[in-house]
Amino acid sequence: MIQFNECSFRYQGGSHNALDGISLTIEDGAFVGVTGASGAGKSTLTYAVNGLIPHHFSGDFYGSVLVNGLDTVEVKPEELSRFVGEVFQDIDSQMVSSVVEDEILFGMENFGVPHEEIGRRLQQTLSLLGIEELRRRQINSLSGGQKQKVAIAAILAMRPDVILLDEPTGELDPESSVMIFELLKTLNREFHKTVVVVEQKIMLLCSYVDRIILMENGHIAFDGPTAAVAGEADLFRAQGINIPRVTELGEKLTGMGLYHGALPLTLDGGEKMVREVLADA
Amino acid sequence: MLEFKHVSYHYPATPPVIPDLSFKIEKGEFVALAGSNGAGKSTISRLSNGLLLPSSGEVTVGGFNTKTTRASQIARKVAFLFQNPDRQICQNTVREEVSFGMRVQGFPEEEIKARTEAALETFSLNGDWSPFTRSRGERQRIALASVLAGKPELVILDEPTTGLDYKECTAIMDHIAKLNREEGLTILMVCHDMELIQSYAGRVLVLNRGTLLGDGPTRQIMKDRELLSKARLRPAQIPNLALRLGAGFEDVYTVDEMAALLQKRAGHKEGEE
Amino acid sequence: MNLLQYQPGNSFLHRLNPITKLAAAFLYGAACIISGNLFLVTALIILMILIAATAGLGGRALRLTRNLLILGALMFIIQLFFVRSGDPLLVTGGFVWVTTGGLVSALLLSLRVVAAMLPLMLLFAITEISDLCGALVKKLHVPYRYAFIVTTAFRFVPLFTSEFHDIEDAQRARGVEYDTRNIVKKVQLVAPLFVPLLTSSLRKVDAGAISAEVRGFNLRTYNSGYQQYPFHLADGAAVVLLVALIVVSAVL
Repeated sequence: MIQFNECSFRYQGGSHNALDGISLTIEDGAFVGVTGASGAGKSTLTYAVNGLIPHHFSGDFYGSVLVNGLDTVEVKPEELSRFVGEVFQDIDSQMVSSVVEDEILFGMENFGVPHEEIGRRLQQTLSLLGIEELRRRQINSLSGGQKQKVAIAAILAMRPDVILLDEPTGELDPESSVMIFELLKTLNREFHKTVVVVEQKIMLLCSYVDRIILMENGHIAFDGPTAAVAGEADLFRAQGINIPRVTELGEKLTGMGLYHGALPLTLDGGEKMVREVLADA
Repeated sequence: MLEFKHVSYHYPATPPVIPDLSFKIEKGEFVALAGSNGAGKSTISRLSNGLLLPSSGEVTVGGFNTKTTRASQIARKVAFLFQNPDRQICQNTVREEVSFGMRVQGFPEEEIKARTEAALETFSLNGDWSPFTRSRGERQRIALASVLAGKPELVILDEPTTGLDYKECTAIMDHIAKLNREEGLTILMVCHDMELIQSYAGRVLVLNRGTLLGDGPTRQIMKDRELLSKARLRPAQIPNLALRLGAGFEDVYTVDEMAALLQKRAGHKEGEE
Repeated sequence: MNLLQYQPGNSFLHRLNPITKLAAAFLYGAACIISGNLFLVTALIILMILIAATAGLGGRALRLTRNLLILGALMFIIQLFFVRSGDPLLVTGGFVWVTTGGLVSALLLSLRVVAAMLPLMLLFAITEISDLCGALVKKLHVPYRYAFIVTTAFRFVPLFTSEFHDIEDAQRARGVEYDTRNIVKKVQLVAPLFVPLLTSSLRKVDAGAISAEVRGFNLRTYNSGYQQYPFHLADGAAVVLLVALIVVSAVL
């Protein structure tokens, strides 16, 4: 479980708080999306969970963040990484090895996982992500989607309870983006990982995550179940978030008195809505 | 404005990235080049302004053959906005950055001054800022102002919205669309975001493995689910919804059209009752 | 650039222990430097190309030899005019330009350079840098920190190269011409590019450091590595052969 208690943070030399009085709880097994404009504090929020704030980035830290009951100020990031792993924004520069296998081994080796266990976990992780055939490949020869899978595998192999991802689809094409979110869904539903994903593509979030957090200038502007986003569309628009077209259609149809149900967020929801309108008509 | 005539391109000792490509873009068009990663989009955009030269065939742009014209000469007519503004920005102030391109292209000093100030104004930029300390969205705007300041005739956008939030993205795209509408600036936008393509482009070239699978008005291409899926793409949300709804929805393309059609249907029913 | 890139394979050479390969490359080079015999040094170059061919690297060895010969030729010319021993060979207007001693020593020096560098450069073709560093840490207990710096540096080379090309492209697209022959002008044009390159490099290095830190980099010891690098009979045989080669070249 992750708990923010009135947490604020200002980067050294910063002119404003990157996090501003954040209070929030993320339960075990949650699948959460974090969105908001650039500079709203989304990446900073993830750094507060894995302890990079205040240990790596210096600045003024107020309040507290608890991860599985551990205060992030008191334990080091490498201690926290037994519970929390983060896939960072820049796919290429977070790699520490040139070969896929070595990348996945790195964390396990450092934490002194017994060698017979390492072999087993390596195999499991590769097969879970469907990248067995990439095992001996050079990382720089892989496609963006494949690299992202390797980055996720490297984190998963360390068996954290919580996986943080910072815009994992930023450089991916639509097909690979969907593939990554399908993977996150599997990790959440079948392997009971807590998944927190920072994402600009609101349509992907709406189709996959259970809860959405909208950040604005370091504080939380919205935090609720995904289905509630449609009702608060104006809040999201004000933050420059691209509301799904089907939601806009829903608003329009409601305004015209043709539709009275809950506003849809996904293509499936949109189809259901239109069929309802057609049946009523 | 831009024409590819049986162009092929391959890096040494590898199968061709582009086997045989021909297309033509007229002045004033807003064309999207759509395809998934690895489809050859970047190669085509770099072939378009002479950064790469075709292995065979010919590329002509703004009346120049890229094989026989210096890249700097082409640069006066063809601007290129890269995905990552940090690769372009190399001057200490926004003003120097915006004037840099014109300076190396040998514009007269007075014209540089006038155009720089005009570009700063258009893009709401402060010339005294240090570009390195601005946000990603602002840096992309600085880069755009800089490539457009010299009034090119064609601008190539290489996935211009990567790393930007939606607000920054629309700000930049609206600027470009305005120049296209009002000044007849020709646009070639490399992109895989189908919503963005639907909102801005009039025509789409669909690309897969260096081969043109489709070329037509955006409205028509957006309805061709089979074609798009061959290129590992999907239609934008409303055209996709219309496709799912099937008969009677063939002409629906936007939120407004969908709402209008549903209202008409509801009206008909009420009329019958 | 790609003449130093690792080429995957399963040949006898590929399968040797990375430490053996490193030692072998140095010993072979040492043999070439010790030898004062022009014919032996030439034979060692040819032998090295043949050895490389057994690992499917004959073509690369030839290309490397050609490039090294250019370097060798340069050293040949310098040495030729600086060593003045033996009989005069080229005399104009009473000034001795070239001597027999100079010719022999220049020839020997340039061939030695080629012969000694060739195996070291081929080492990279048959050894993954990460394996080499892994073995050095595991077997020789080289501190992991240093090994990590080396592997990271090698890993970043292609990243920086492609970054630099992209930056150069972005400037060329704006009309900057880098193909000028004027060296002063060229420096003036290229210098500003280091600003974006430096900015992005620092950002990448910092991101890499964070990623390593949170994955327990500081907890690592020489024994952490999962990959084992056992020595086999072949490794012993290779070392014995090379020691023999050194003896031969010292005697001849």
